[in-house]
Amino acid sequence: MSEPLTFMMGKFAAVVPADLHYSRNHFWCRKVAGKNRFGFSSYAIKLMQDVYFLDWQVNAGDKVALLEQIGHIETSKAVSDLFAPVEGLLLGFNPEVLADPSAINIDGYDKGWLFEMDGAIDSLMDANAYHAFLEENWEKAQRMLKGKINAGDE
Amino acid sequence: MSQKKLTVVLSQAQGKDPVRRAIEEEIAAALLMEPGVDLGIVPALYDLHQGHTGRLYLEGIQGDMVVISWLYPRAAYWLLDRDGIQGQLGETNIKPAEDNDDDEETEEVAKPKGIGAVKFKDRLIYCLDLRDAKDHRVYVNEVRRILGECRKRWDASGENSKPAIVQLGMNISNPASSSNVVNGINFPKEEMLKVPGRRWYPVIDYSRCTNCMECLDFCLFGVYGVDSLERIYVDNQDSCKKGCPACSRVCPEQAIMFPDYKSPAIAGAPVGAISGLKIDLTKLFGGGDALVLAAKERDKELVRDGRDAVGLSVGIPKRQSDKKDSPKDDLDNLMDSLDTLEI
Repeated sequence: MSEPLTFMMGKFAAVVPADLHYSRNHFWCRKVAGKNRFGFSSYAIKLMQDVYFLDWQVNAGDKVALLEQIGHIETSKAVSDLFAPVEGLLLGFNPEVLADPSAINIDGYDKGWLFEMDGAIDSLMDANAYHAFLEENWEKAQRMLKGKINAGDE
Repeated sequence: MSQKKLTVVLSQAQGKDPVRRAIEEEIAAALLMEPGVDLGIVPALYDLHQGHTGRLYLEGIQGDMVVISWLYPRAAYWLLDRDGIQGQLGETNIKPAEDNDDDEETEEVAKPKGIGAVKFKDRLIYCLDLRDAKDHRVYVNEVRRILGECRKRWDASGENSKPAIVQLGMNISNPASSSNVVNGINFPKEEMLKVPGRRWYPVIDYSRCTNCMECLDFCLFGVYGVDSLERIYVDNQDSCKKGCPACSRVCPEQAIMFPDYKSPAIAGAPVGAISGLKIDLTKLFGGGDALVLAAKERDKELVRDGRDAVGLSVGIPKRQSDKKDSPKDDLDNLMDSLDTLEI
């Protein structure tokens, strides 16, 4: 297996495992027992920090559109709505992180997985493309974050 | 010993959820027999229209009160304020389950940026959220604690030495009686509990509102107006479009709440009270721009009314363009500032 890539967020090195695929909204995707499993990338987790609360607004068996809202998350630093990384069928959620979301922070690329979906995963990026995507958008992301921190919100 | 009583108003959940009804009934049963407490039960606070007996009852309450509802405290407090049921927000010890490890409430009062409530009534209104605990005793104990706190205040102000003329003889409440008595007026319990139709309207948190009028410019349904003091207010509540939260997305201070909306930030969650500390990452996770989303929601309602969609051409503030001028910071500074958010 090839070495993971790293993306420097200031002093923090976000790990981008080479064998996974990624969506533009910072989910990783891995085939597990024939199903596409999704979770938060290290980049996303660094921005959110400790996950306090996770809530899904769709159910297993629901068809979802690309970027349709599927849930909501609250962490020590942030709140956010969550959106489907691809179009397709939601197969199920990780019951363990629903009960105790701390696995997301401890082991985000494995035990902290979030949900499984059947869908158009061809649209996802490989690790190199995701790394380039992060690089390209880092300045914009910072500006957005900085604006949020200073102004409270927009 | 003070002769005064603390009024506790229990606002029922919308609908007939048996779990919710059960905790309401447990609390009511305990408080009915509680000395020093007058209990009144009303349907969902948010739905009480003008003239509803439950609302008249609330309007009649003069002293300190505790409002127990299925709403976020901020939402309950400011919705009462809009209806003229005003006072100071009392501090409760019941906190949402997840933030029991830190004392964030000192942060919340840090910078009152808003224009504040206009009429100031010298009494306390405590708002308890029924979603914060599953055990009814938590609420009963909190009411007892608040009663103790209020008694100290009443004794200190010597208020109980004043003869409470209107209440004499009438307020020796009998738990089994079929009406609540406030200021000598009878409010039949049956009338108070009449289930009103569902309503939908925005509630302004004036501790945040800066009177910028962006909501007034944005809403094309005539919901907002300006009062005689030139303050923004929710003028025509029932002109609001059911389910549409667009104006709350446009508000730069997150001062507009829709207490029934599904996302907590818009429904008035306490998270919002510390919004300076929590960042909204929705955009980063693929959510659309809040203003674009708001315009879309508004267009849907316009079209439904047989009017033309206006997109982003009407009443959209030009905040986006100003943002570009803010100085850029290097990466380390940014991540550091994220880390210093930890309090």
